[in-house]
Amino acid sequence: MDFEPLPHAFPFRFADGVVERTGPAAGRVRACVTANAESVRATEFPAAVLAELVAQSALLLQGGDAALGRKGFLAGVSDFSVQRLPVAGDVLTIDVAIAGRLGDTVKFEGIVRDAEGGAVARGSVTVKQGSA
Amino acid sequence: MSDDLKKRVKELIVRQLKLEMDPATIADDAPLFGDADGGLGLDSIDALELVLGVEKEFGIKVQDEEVGVKAFASVNALCEFVRQKAA
Repeated sequence: MDFEPLPHAFPFRFADGVVERTGPAAGRVRACVTANAESVRATEFPAAVLAELVAQSALLLQGGDAALGRKGFLAGVSDFSVQRLPVAGDVLTIDVAIAGRLGDTVKFEGIVRDAEGGAVARGSVTVKQGSA
Repeated sequence: MSDDLKKRVKELIVRQLKLEMDPATIADDAPLFGDADGGLGLDSIDALELVLGVEKEFGIKVQDEEVGVKAFASVNALCEFVRQKAA
């Protein structure tokens, strides 16, 4: 049976777009937390979504397109800590840099900050590029 | 092959992959990847973590093509790989 991978479409698309590229696999991505997002209807952005946000940011910087959907998927999370849960209205920036690559498996370090520059979350995510 | 190097590699595997096991229980020739009996059953995510750990621990660069069938097949193979790269 063919498997159709889940696309990064609303309400599972969290990263809005690339703000700045600082290297071939590094840069800054922005994400606006809206009250309409399924993930914040419970008033707070779940911690697990922050890891997914870092992964989506990494894939955007690897050539993905927020409007067209996924170029890979979150495959692992390590040493990930959350300082505070974002709420609707927060404008987040996600700084991402590559930590290592082996074939289509790529590890990134990411830091999520709020509009005042305060750390929201930080940690490592591993993504598998391509479809599941 | 140096027992010290084997011990160091086994400790690296356990530490880097956060395995809950005694490094000494890893057999020298047990397969690291796959589902073979007696193997560790590591996957591609573990492979990347292991590569990053080997690069940091031994100060060597691991190229994609070097990973897999031979270099990371077992503790013995990994020790031989590290010994050759560090030579």
